[in-house]
Amino acid sequence: MIKFTIRNLFSRKFRLLLTSLAVVLGVGFMAGTFVLTDTLGSVFENLFADTTRGVDAVVRGKEPFKDRGHHGTSTRPPVPDSLVAEVTSVSGIRGAEGNILGYALVQNKIGEAIQTRAPTFGTGWYSEKVAINKSLVRIPKWQGATSRRPVADNEVALDRATAESGKFRIGDSVSISFLSVPPQSFTLVGVLDFGGNENGLAGATLAAFTPARAQVLLNRCPGATGVLECPTGAGSWDQIEVLGAKGTSEIEVRNSIRADFQPAGLKYDVITGQQLADEQVANVKQNLSFFNTFLLIFALVSLFVGAFIIYNTFSITVAQRTRELGLLRALGASGGQVIGAVTLEAFIVGIFSSVLGLALGVGLVKPLEGLLSAFGLNLPSGPMQILPRTIAVSLVAGILVTMVSAIAPARRAARVAPIAALRDQSLPPSSGRRRYLWGALATLLGLLAMGYGLFGSSGSNAAVLVGIAAAIIFLGTAMLSPLLARPAARLLMAPSRKITGQLAEQNAARNPRRTASTASALMIGLALVTLIAIFGESAKQTFATAIDEQTKADFVISPKGFLPFSPEIATTVRNRFEAKFGSPGAVVQYRDAPVEVSGSATSAFGLSPDFQSTSNVPVRNFDRAAFKQGGVIISDAVSGARRCLASSTAKALVPCRVGTFLPMRFPSSGVEAIAVAVAGVFVDAKAIGYRGDYLISLSDWDSRFTDAFDQFVIILRPDGASTAAAAKIVNSVAKEFGGVKAQNKADFKDSQLAQFDQILGLMYVLLLFSVIIALIGIINALALSIYERTREIGLLRAVGMSRRQLRAVVRDEAVIVSVFGSLLGLVIGIGFGAAIVASLRDQGISFSLPVTQLVIFVILAALAGVTAGILPARRAARLDVLRAISSE
Amino acid sequence: MTTSTTKAVLSTSASASAARAVGASKIYDSGDAEVRALDNVDAEFARHCYTAIMGPSGSGKSTLLHCLAGLDRLTTGKIYLGDTEISSLSEKQLTLIRRDQIGFVFQAYNLIPTLTARENIVLPIALAGRKPDAAIFDRVVDTVGLRDRLSHKPTELSGGQQQRVAVARALVSQPAIIFADEPTGNLDSRASSEILGFMRRAVDELGQTIVMVTHNPNAASYADRVVFLADGKVTDELANPTTDSIIDTMKKLDS
Repeated sequence: MIKFTIRNLFSRKFRLLLTSLAVVLGVGFMAGTFVLTDTLGSVFENLFADTTRGVDAVVRGKEPFKDRGHHGTSTRPPVPDSLVAEVTSVSGIRGAEGNILGYALVQNKIGEAIQTRAPTFGTGWYSEKVAINKSLVRIPKWQGATSRRPVADNEVALDRATAESGKFRIGDSVSISFLSVPPQSFTLVGVLDFGGNENGLAGATLAAFTPARAQVLLNRCPGATGVLECPTGAGSWDQIEVLGAKGTSEIEVRNSIRADFQPAGLKYDVITGQQLADEQVANVKQNLSFFNTFLLIFALVSLFVGAFIIYNTFSITVAQRTRELGLLRALGASGGQVIGAVTLEAFIVGIFSSVLGLALGVGLVKPLEGLLSAFGLNLPSGPMQILPRTIAVSLVAGILVTMVSAIAPARRAARVAPIAALRDQSLPPSSGRRRYLWGALATLLGLLAMGYGLFGSSGSNAAVLVGIAAAIIFLGTAMLSPLLARPAARLLMAPSRKITGQLAEQNAARNPRRTASTASALMIGLALVTLIAIFGESAKQTFATAIDEQTKADFVISPKGFLPFSPEIATTVRNRFEAKFGSPGAVVQYRDAPVEVSGSATSAFGLSPDFQSTSNVPVRNFDRAAFKQGGVIISDAVSGARRCLASSTAKALVPCRVGTFLPMRFPSSGVEAIAVAVAGVFVDAKAIGYRGDYLISLSDWDSRFTDAFDQFVIILRPDGASTAAAAKIVNSVAKEFGGVKAQNKADFKDSQLAQFDQILGLMYVLLLFSVIIALIGIINALALSIYERTREIGLLRAVGMSRRQLRAVVRDEAVIVSVFGSLLGLVIGIGFGAAIVASLRDQGISFSLPVTQLVIFVILAALAGVTAGILPARRAARLDVLRAISSE
Repeated sequence: MTTSTTKAVLSTSASASAARAVGASKIYDSGDAEVRALDNVDAEFARHCYTAIMGPSGSGKSTLLHCLAGLDRLTTGKIYLGDTEISSLSEKQLTLIRRDQIGFVFQAYNLIPTLTARENIVLPIALAGRKPDAAIFDRVVDTVGLRDRLSHKPTELSGGQQQRVAVARALVSQPAIIFADEPTGNLDSRASSEILGFMRRAVDELGQTIVMVTHNPNAASYADRVVFLADGKVTDELANPTTDSIIDTMKKLDS
């Protein structure tokens, strides 16, 4: 039996290859994802091991509450310069130094920012003799000139990649932008390798200054103004790095500092260098795991689609071998043996495709990286990591998917009666009433699960539930879809009055189950593409409405990358408007505000008290005075929730409304929550800047937050100022500070929408995999059908069908299958999209249907069908008429 | 290449023969030994005449039929359909000739399972993109007695009915010649004689030309003339045959 199976399998190599391909692509995608993220993980691990090189312990501010991590502003307060001396005086400590890592954007010689999507850092560089942190490694010579550490306030050193990309030589002038001070020029005196690696920064850029200069440039010198270098004792640091006495371990160093700081222990965090590295790696790994999950979802979709193809191929080949299987049964093979034979075949296909898939996956890493960087995600590269886990998961997934998909066909094969060997035709498929029942049941169950996932629960479990529900709905509709195959074929070929169209229609309707399951594979891809298109369109439309209807603006200043920018920009614009037009106009700043309400971190937005001059969002019962004094405006959703206090000193919680006080914790406010006056309720806010449930006035910002950086600034020019004159001022300010762009309202909207499009585009490309797999499924099914219909094709040719007509028949059948599948997908996708958008109504997103786009998808699917039909059509047309009519 | 030009080429023929093989040889090269399926065959098939080709298995009768019908190509020699020499025609031209000038009846698998009897009958006309002539269609359908079976699929028809549909299909496009390859090979004797009777009437009443391969003397007795083949050569001929005279000739050839 085994020998029989293997011989059978390898006698049809082309089929084996096509069938395998469906799994190979899915497994390859999965393996590629793992290899890519593992590689990135190891790169970052090395990078962070480098950042703490030489550091035994770190003293830093305590995080007041765990930030959710998506804010540009850190909640961890800096530590004062005076702490360096205190730490140094601890016994068993050889030295301590303050360190900063802040924002510094280097411009090349023609004024363009040198920046990928990776961050751009500025830092201080201590003399190599005393430096504790050894992560900055000087390159002795740069293009023939001696490279050294910056020692004066006008000197800078750059990392190798940045120096290369800017074509800088030692002695060149380098212009650099910062967050809190205007851009300045420096003389390049040195080039360094971070961690001693040529690519140690993983795409980030680094500019190093003298430490005291860095404090001024990177907003760590609040105690002194008008200085170039921060005087000792006046500034602060992100953290203090400590070197222990010879022979002491990191833990001993940490413990002795902790013991010494016990009284002030609440204020500072003391950890070992290793702990810091681990923490940073863990942070990055968490981000990577989101990224990994994101890609894996698409890989799983591909595998799922591949499963349909495997199921279909095995079903067809089992049907075609009915006589042969009947003969085996007649010769004494048991049903179990037949199942065994088919399962073994699936196992071999599974192994074959998993191994190929794994190889493909390794080969896919580079293109995947290229793809992501084409969509603006530049990734650092390093030695490729192929972990045993990747190999195991890929093999198991590939084999499992193949074998599970073959179970139903195998069982059908076992049901073939010995008498089938004697019959001329293969058995007609069973009526399938039970199958339809199961299909309906599965669809219903899936819909319920999805409903619950979207509206009844929350968190990541809900997302998993929705995913599983979607898979069940796909299975259910795939089981039901044969009901629609016949009418769909008739409908699609109705415009064609030709005999070829009629024949194609009949062929598609001949075995509705086969047509439907071939189409279902495409359905999945199209449904997801549609879903994404709808989701994207809805989000875009919502955003566009927010800008068009709820925002009044002449200009918007926003960051070029993701990082927030200096509030000095807004101030400068105001001042220049005032000087030129006699009025500051309306310059409204928006800031991300990490706060804690009722014990959980949440995102709030900070905005200028005069925000209403640029916003149409209605605020109910607005108490302007209270807001100006640092009050909070709450959303409709929070209004009435039992989170507030009746007075600033009360203890009992009461429903929130204007006049009550909301207890909030801010990064700088210490352990106790502060009672903030509720100054209004905002309704139906789609406008930019209304993220979350709380809007805080900027007026009391500095006492509450450690950093003050704007996310964007909305500007209305003063009355009487011409747009051109105002634009000149805004543009020149943006240019002077660097790192930001100033756009008019329409351009801002377009550029934000373009970012949406970029993400959508990436997802489309990732879904393309599953669509390609579905097309392979169509090719495979058609090729098998043609093999099965050799006689019939011979007859058609004999009675005068031309090759061209025959090709048209096959092509039309491919078009029927692909358009049927994509229409099914479209309907399901619209349903999913509507459901998901409805579940996000709280976030202000409203449903919107991208009709043109969806029509284009169907047309593309039809074209893809034509393409998929080419190969089988040529095979059919090449059949030798004589051999076809005389073949058995 | 339009159908009308092909039609014109063949219909200008003044030749009395509908099909002609001249020095026809077909050699299969099977490695060590070459097999001469047809060995320098000369044969002529007259218009409005019902000719049977007989011979034992391997005599080359099916090969001759396939070559005459443009389904297979000769190694050497020429095939004329009317005055058109078809061995030099392209695959495309052959397809058009098959569609417009030739009717086929095979032993089995004559019909497209997804099409109804009516659709099967008009298939060659539909492939040519034309509409069937209603009068001819009716006459043919009535001749073979299929009126009440037209909307049935092949699986709903008996073997005899299926072959009647095949005959109707061959007749309805009014081809210059019909080739039948063991048309009754799979039928019982009653269904066989029905089919053979229809073919006879097609020649007598509709003026058709039929060339039929068979190994059944009774079937061959419906023909106007029998051509005997053995080892790829024409060995004998019989005009106005009867079952007995055919059996006698076969015995003679065997000995």
